[in-house]
Amino acid sequence: MTTSRLEVPGYVRIVAGVVVVGLFLWLVGALGKLIDGGFKLLLQQTANGIVLGGTIGLIALGYTMVYGIIQLINFAHGEVFMVGAFGGLAVYRWVLPESVRGDWYISLPAMLLGGVIVAVVIAVLMERFAYRPLRNAPRLAPLITALGVSVALQEAIRLWFPDAASPQPFPTVFIEARVALGPISLSASQLLLIVVSIVLAVLLQTYISRSRMGRAMRATSQDHDTARLMGINPDRVIVLTFVMGAALAGVAGVLYGSNLNSVGNDIGFQNGIFAFTAAVLGGIGSLRGAVIGAFIIGLIKTLSGQYMPGGTQYDYVWIFVVLILVLVFRPQGLFGEAERVRA
Amino acid sequence: MSRLNGLIPAALARPFTAIGGVLFLIAAMLPWATFILNDGAYPEKSTLQFFDAPFELTGFRWHLLLFGLLALIVTFAPIPGKNRVLGALGWGGGLIGAVGAAFIAGKGGGIGAITAADGTIAMGSIVAIVAGALLKIGSAATGPGDIPEWPTSLFGWTGMKQRLEAWVYLLVAFAGVLWLVAQTLTAGGIGGAAFPYAGPVFIAFLGFAGGLLGALHGIGLTRWVSQLSEKHRPFSIVVLLLCAFALPFPFTGAGSQYWMQVAATIGVYAATAIGLNIVVGLSGLLDLGYVAFMGIGAFVAANLSGVAASALGWNLPFPLAALIAAVVAGILGAIVGSPTLRVRGDYLAIVTLAFGEIFSRAAQNDIGDLTGGASAMPGIPPVSMFGTAFNEPINLLGAELPSGVLYYFMIVLVVALVMAVFANLKNSRMGRAWIAIREDEDAARAMGIRTGKAKILAFLVGATLAGLAGAIFVHKLGTASYDSFKFLESVTLLAAVILGGMGTIPGAVLGASLLFVLPEKLREFSDYRLFVFGLALVLIMRFRPQGLVPDRIRRAEFAGETAEGKSIEAVEEQAVLEQEQSEREPGAPAGPKEGRS
Amino acid sequence: MRNQTVKAAAVVAAGLLLLSACGTNKDESAPAGGGSNESCDTSKGKLVLGVIAPLSGELSALGKGIQNSADLAVKEANEKCTIKGYELVIQAEDDQKNPQLGAQAATKLASTPNVIGVVSTLNSSVSQSVQPILDQAGILQISPANTADSLTKGEDAANPTRKYKTYFRTCTVDSLQGPFAANYMIKKAGKKKIAIITDGLTYGEGLADAFTTQAEKNGAEIVTRQKIGEKDTDFSGVIAAVQPFAPDGIYYGGQYPQAGPLSKQFASAGLSVPVMGGDGIYDDQFIALGGKDGDLATSVGAPTEELDSAKAFVAAYDKGGYTEAFSAYGAFSYDAANAIIGAVKATVEGKDWADSMRPDVVKAAGEYKGEGATGPVAFDKNGDSTNTVLTVYQVTGGKWKSVETGKFEG
Repeated sequence: MTTSRLEVPGYVRIVAGVVVVGLFLWLVGALGKLIDGGFKLLLQQTANGIVLGGTIGLIALGYTMVYGIIQLINFAHGEVFMVGAFGGLAVYRWVLPESVRGDWYISLPAMLLGGVIVAVVIAVLMERFAYRPLRNAPRLAPLITALGVSVALQEAIRLWFPDAASPQPFPTVFIEARVALGPISLSASQLLLIVVSIVLAVLLQTYISRSRMGRAMRATSQDHDTARLMGINPDRVIVLTFVMGAALAGVAGVLYGSNLNSVGNDIGFQNGIFAFTAAVLGGIGSLRGAVIGAFIIGLIKTLSGQYMPGGTQYDYVWIFVVLILVLVFRPQGLFGEAERVRA
Repeated sequence: MSRLNGLIPAALARPFTAIGGVLFLIAAMLPWATFILNDGAYPEKSTLQFFDAPFELTGFRWHLLLFGLLALIVTFAPIPGKNRVLGALGWGGGLIGAVGAAFIAGKGGGIGAITAADGTIAMGSIVAIVAGALLKIGSAATGPGDIPEWPTSLFGWTGMKQRLEAWVYLLVAFAGVLWLVAQTLTAGGIGGAAFPYAGPVFIAFLGFAGGLLGALHGIGLTRWVSQLSEKHRPFSIVVLLLCAFALPFPFTGAGSQYWMQVAATIGVYAATAIGLNIVVGLSGLLDLGYVAFMGIGAFVAANLSGVAASALGWNLPFPLAALIAAVVAGILGAIVGSPTLRVRGDYLAIVTLAFGEIFSRAAQNDIGDLTGGASAMPGIPPVSMFGTAFNEPINLLGAELPSGVLYYFMIVLVVALVMAVFANLKNSRMGRAWIAIREDEDAARAMGIRTGKAKILAFLVGATLAGLAGAIFVHKLGTASYDSFKFLESVTLLAAVILGGMGTIPGAVLGASLLFVLPEKLREFSDYRLFVFGLALVLIMRFRPQGLVPDRIRRAEFAGETAEGKSIEAVEEQAVLEQEQSEREPGAPAGPKEGRS
Repeated sequence: MRNQTVKAAAVVAAGLLLLSACGTNKDESAPAGGGSNESCDTSKGKLVLGVIAPLSGELSALGKGIQNSADLAVKEANEKCTIKGYELVIQAEDDQKNPQLGAQAATKLASTPNVIGVVSTLNSSVSQSVQPILDQAGILQISPANTADSLTKGEDAANPTRKYKTYFRTCTVDSLQGPFAANYMIKKAGKKKIAIITDGLTYGEGLADAFTTQAEKNGAEIVTRQKIGEKDTDFSGVIAAVQPFAPDGIYYGGQYPQAGPLSKQFASAGLSVPVMGGDGIYDDQFIALGGKDGDLATSVGAPTEELDSAKAFVAAYDKGGYTEAFSAYGAFSYDAANAIIGAVKATVEGKDWADSMRPDVVKAAGEYKGEGATGPVAFDKNGDSTNTVLTVYQVTGGKWKSVETGKFEG
């Protein structure tokens, strides 16, 4: 995606500048409210933002990996997250016997496993039947296909998972405790989410940079044909990318459900958009960027919901404003490589 | 379907298609269901015994009879383009059979409903499916062949006589189109509790219409008519408009309030789809938040129409309100377009999606007291011009026309206007600039096109058209609510443009019609509607990404076919062979021949 | 090519074999003529009861509940041969919470002969586009779930004007439910500092507004009012915003899918105060999703355990074999359908149905009186339900128990 500095008309820059200055002034005003509203509230909302960032980060990693390798926005990735959550719920409801449901050290790993398996299966099927045949088609085709898959998955769960037409209760399969870190109060599941997401992100980064397969993935993302000449099978690498992304999303789904105690067939859409925004913000193709972008998005959502005019009704409007500004002024994101010329 | 080419040796082609035709005839007369279904007898006397009352066939059985006869005639007569005709008939008839089979089997609780049970045999649907397959395979034995060309004047006349002759043909052709449209609209009737089989009857009719149209296309009739209409454009436009106006009259059978409302809604969405076609189809700017512009136009018009919930309290006459709505939407379109200039492709999609969602949220929260938020803005007064409110029934030329017909007329005019704008733009410098940007933006810029300006203009024009459509929509509906302008509507509009065929007018109209008529007709499947929609998007992109009525460039891009329907590969092979041929001859001209057709 | 032909032929052969094997596999198909009662005289034909509700999409649980309950009423009417000479059938149309589709459905029903009345709709915004169409056709419309006052009384609360004479409703209105809740919460439960949270939709906003006015009259302090997104499940932001105010009670305007997790998340964040809501949260799923002991809800009518008609409805619904629960508005829908049937019965008595009788049906509905699953069913001059009895329920021991019944007097 090449940038085109020549084409942005002057008035656009002026408008953008005005918007940025306006935002800054609002922030100053908000700071005033904040000092008298309480530092504790700020810290708490920050902590909430980081928790949200954890979920989004796990999903964003999937987005950024897939885009890096086949230049496709997998719109349906958010639904993979949702399906993972339902997979975990299914394990809880129908696989786990009554006696062990209360023991979180048995049920949580089981649900995680279930969620991951379901998510991975769906992702692999998606790749094989919806995306692979369109590998060489013009850009529009896989995008529309992804939209179609997303809608179809959402509806499939609503139609065929029992009672999924309305949100389903999801058990907190973890210690029910609240942890106080100074002025901040978080539940144990929220902490678990943060810890798991950071650990998994680090593991993923290590894998990609150190292992052979990781090298293969990086090579394929640069140039399929050359990679093939080097003896790498791009198809297999692509499937593996989808698998890994889906596994992360599955984990995110189960932990999300455990945290909020309810999952519905619509949780994929909104979280998916946030995750993609995070991936773009951080620099598409960069794992580190995806995670950091996710935390930034989480913070923007909670802090703007608290301090910006319009409150929680407009919180994700601010996220989109940030997205648009980033794409105008720094399309490669925070950590992305500038200018990789693609056809 | 090129996989079927040459599946059987050429010698078997004729027997296959002949047997196929005969089987259609038999299927038409066989009973289709072994017993009367629980919800009532399946239509067209489907449990009629074998060859009982062969002259009383109606509905889809009569269609099959017709197809069978046509197939037999085409097999044995030296008609040009016969393979395509037979293929189309096979598809159409096969679809009729498949729909009947699936539905009767589904409602009747098992395959026994369509084969044999309790001593009664009913193989009609299965025979039809087999016949369709035979026809299709048989017709593909020697490849599809070329679409025949027809001379401009069938009698070899010239000058004024030729023009009059062409006019007659056009009149007949468009009257035929009117009849077909009216039949499609009313096929299956209103449905509901009184007639539970509206859905499958409608699909079966689609099979018939599709088969018929495919056959006509195969003979070259449709191409000939379209060439004629190109040559006599003003006349064609007038006749088309007259036909559209004739739709509500009682003789077409589509003259009830319900059909008027369906047709008017299709019109509004078709106008919006044509606007989207400018953005996506011509310029290749993937816009996932397009319905926001329709919404903006709608709310502006609502606020200016004197509705009680409006904070402005102005009451402007409808044409003025609609104009202002369109202009405001256009300006906002240009504003939305500006930050997107630096982003391409997928990123553009996300940015426009973001704008769409921002609009949705803002509307839901009653921003600036302009949208009524969750309580919406009810009670928008109906448009009132020339002394009649548009939702009253009127009396025209002695016929009693249902209420809502004036809205329909207005929308026909608006759609015609939008089409004119689109056609003019497409053939102008700006239109060519847009197409160039779509194909390769860097090359376009290298050619000196101001891509930034062009893209903003595309957004502006598209948004203006959407705003106009939105203003009309909201006056017809009487309520402006954020619920009507959600992300799903954007996706549906995009799907309509893509399904119909990007960059063509008939494509956008066809796509919008299908996507808004099908859910209406198939209301009993409304539970599965979204799921099927998602699946359909995937399948279309996989098997026919160029849409139903593609333009020349798209067809080349997606399907590898030239405008005449030949495969580009075949054309190139041909050219290479010719070149090698001429090089082998001693008197070959120096240098390579022009190899491109 | 050879390979493909062989494969194709094999598939076809297998298919044929399968077909002939299943040839005699006809199963359940009931005896000809359908399954309804043979002892009823249905010689004069069918009468259609319409239903317009969101049957697909995010509100399908509520919409299906409405459809199924109306269907139950129709089935019972057919079994009892309520309208002699006619068989009642139901025609349910999906509006997907979209006003345009609602209008389309209404036009369709208006153009269908023998439609006697329509149970519609769930959402106020859809009702706004359905009302004019049904009114123009003169068809009776009874809503089981529209709670916005403006639908019967117009925009100006001080001068109620009834715009659509064909529109009635069996559910209660915000201006009654909100203040009733306020009275209970402040006077009986003794809460002084109340936080209000809504989901931003008409139902929740209307309820919260009515609650606020009454609460302030009763001398309580509304410490803050927050909105959550329609589909939110993560409420940590709102919770953090509310906590500094240290309310002793929370009033929620919205539906149970969000109220349940909201209550639970508040509790786990340390703010374990009662959450109170309207009939939108009075559902067993509220408790399953996280509603805790001490949470409150209001609903129309006397307590379900005390009303024989309510118990009969619940039992009949269970036996009806419906996949979805009747959810929040099923009982109202059942009553609405029965009101329509009752009005038609009064009009058609002994005569033949003609569509020109529709205005008479509307008149008869205005005079209808019956015992419904939510209590006595009748309508006032604006079309609102005269059943102004409300009950407060509290979650006790994991179940809803009624704690107070009364009327709200102006």
